[in-house]
Amino acid sequence: MQRLHRNGPLFWAFLTPVLIAFLMVIVIPFCIGVLYSFTDWNATARAGQGLRIVGFENFTASFRDPSFLYSFLLTLVYTVLNVAVINTVAIAVALAVTGKLRFRNAYRMGFFIPYLIGGLILGFLWQFIFNSAIPAIGRSVGFLRAFAEPDNLLLGSVPTSVLALVIVGSWQYAGYIMMIYVAAIEGVPQELYEAAHIDGANAWERFRTITIPMIAQAFTITMFLTLVNSFKQFDVNFALTSGGPATTFMGESILGTELLAMNIYNTAFVGNDLAAGQARAALFFIVLVAFSLIQVTYNKQREQEL
Amino acid sequence: MRRIDAMVGAMLVAISLVAGVAFASGDQEANRSIRLTQNKPEIDDALQSYARTWSERTGIGATVQSVGGGSGASIGQQLRADFAAGEMPDIFAIEGIEMYREWERIVLDLSDESWVDETTVAFSVDGAVYGFPVSIEGWGLAYNADILRQVGIDPSTLTNYDAYVDAFARIDAVKDELGLQSVVSMAASIEMGWVTAHHNFNSLLSNGLAYDDQSVAQALLAGQVDQQRLGEYADWVALLFRYADPAVLITGNYDAQVGAFATGRTAFLHQGNWVDPNLAGANVTFEVGYAPHGSSRRDTVGIFVAAPSFYVINAESPNIEAAKQFLADMVFTQAGHDYMVNEAGMIPAFRTVQIGPAGPLSRAVQEWTAEGNVYAWNQYQFTTEFRDQTLATIYNRFAAGQIDRDEFVRLMTEAFEQLAN
Repeated sequence: MQRLHRNGPLFWAFLTPVLIAFLMVIVIPFCIGVLYSFTDWNATARAGQGLRIVGFENFTASFRDPSFLYSFLLTLVYTVLNVAVINTVAIAVALAVTGKLRFRNAYRMGFFIPYLIGGLILGFLWQFIFNSAIPAIGRSVGFLRAFAEPDNLLLGSVPTSVLALVIVGSWQYAGYIMMIYVAAIEGVPQELYEAAHIDGANAWERFRTITIPMIAQAFTITMFLTLVNSFKQFDVNFALTSGGPATTFMGESILGTELLAMNIYNTAFVGNDLAAGQARAALFFIVLVAFSLIQVTYNKQREQEL
Repeated sequence: MRRIDAMVGAMLVAISLVAGVAFASGDQEANRSIRLTQNKPEIDDALQSYARTWSERTGIGATVQSVGGGSGASIGQQLRADFAAGEMPDIFAIEGIEMYREWERIVLDLSDESWVDETTVAFSVDGAVYGFPVSIEGWGLAYNADILRQVGIDPSTLTNYDAYVDAFARIDAVKDELGLQSVVSMAASIEMGWVTAHHNFNSLLSNGLAYDDQSVAQALLAGQVDQQRLGEYADWVALLFRYADPAVLITGNYDAQVGAFATGRTAFLHQGNWVDPNLAGANVTFEVGYAPHGSSRRDTVGIFVAAPSFYVINAESPNIEAAKQFLADMVFTQAGHDYMVNEAGMIPAFRTVQIGPAGPLSRAVQEWTAEGNVYAWNQYQFTTEFRDQTLATIYNRFAAGQIDRDEFVRLMTEAFEQLAN
């Protein structure tokens, strides 16, 4: 602290470029965005159009819009499923690749690589797999004939499309979360396992009573990352389902797999209502912060208990 | 320490100066070149290379940006982002009246341009010309003439609903012998909402009406629904959906839909003449043509033909003269003709162009046009939001079997009635 204080001006000089960048591309646009959400701005040159303050109208209208409410509920469902699946898969493969496995580094790399592929490309890739590859397998392999039935296409109905989103989301993200678990598991002292082994604990007991408590800190970060990531899901959603197929909610025909981020995008750019989209983005931000805070507080408490 | 602080300060000042200079030179760059944003990704290569040759000849820079197609960002989204950023292009494409209204304040009046007299499909509002027609496009129901011949159906008899009911049933009865997967190649997934909620929707708005008759579209915009017409149209949609391959219909994308027809697995295709390059790419050898839509019990002898989009000039652009020259050169130079017809494969919208496109469906559109048997496009009188979010979801549910024909009519009626509120 003493050194830092002595180098004060230099310290700030080095920090300035980052602070300016943070201010210019995050803080200021965020504030302007919040201001815009109280107006009727829509970024076109319509005749006789100006900027008008409309108060909370964008917010109240959002809560009356079935597609927004539906997206909200759908995103909650998707997040719960996605967090559960990603973490289960990630911890399972993490245990596998930290065990006595040949080529384990190759496996680690293999599981991690999907994370490096962009979500849009992943979406189109998996669209091909779900729509063409799986039915083709069904046609050529006798006992899998059910996969070739058009009625059984994964992207053909709303519940299975959500499942497809979870599959692709997990395939993309589980490898990354696995890496965090791997680091945590490798940090657990071997002596504990040896002692437990001598005491006669089996593999499951060792996992439950040693590994889990020792990697509790990793849970806090992985839960946070998967929660935020699932909540903000957009690119896979956009490329894989485009929000389809359609469904009905509160008596209106709406998109059946439109997650919140995509609902915001569609409101702003397809519906040509940028201010309303901005209002929804502000709501999205508040909800996401609230959920994250609850989750982190809860996990921190668990860390203490364990 | 002080010296280091001073050095850092000097560096920061230097960096900001460099940034400032870079910015300023960027502005000067813009003054010597024009920027065009358009919505036909399929002609991107051709237009890029035409813009390069044009630049070499005139010494004015020209950049082309193409957006749209499939599930990418649409031109409307791109333009709104550019407008918000203060980087509106000098020339941009609009699709019709609804999009014109969005940009009304900055669209330049082009009534005095020399190319105006050379076309019949320029975009005009209240007598003033604003838009340069990019090309002419059209769609009916594309057919595989070889298959129709084998079944013994004369395509010229396909002019009303009953004729189609009969033809579809006859083809369906022998589809296994002909190796067909389905009778029609139709797509109704959300991603393909433009096939249902833009193109097919136009049958309801324009089929059987005089070219300048907008009465049906206007009535629907006002919330007045002609149940008789909508009912007949719903039967037509149901017919197309019933004889389509369910996998292509519900989850297929553009490639799946066009591919099924191009590989001879369907007798009909619900697409416009822009699929010509796809057919050529699949080495199609069978004969193709267009038959009118059967959305009416009466005979409707005509297909839907219009300019799909129009280039307009940004009135706030500092390069208006260069932009005007860019458009005029397309009409009055050989290089421009070569680009439009041979390179981009488009049907030209101008009398000055003597050459015709090579694609079989494009030629079919030209033939229907030459005979004057054409109906208008009125779908762009409705907003993108209404088409893509309200209508596309209703078509999708109908295709997936979630709703029946009567429910479809009810939901469509409701959607139009809500428009008026």
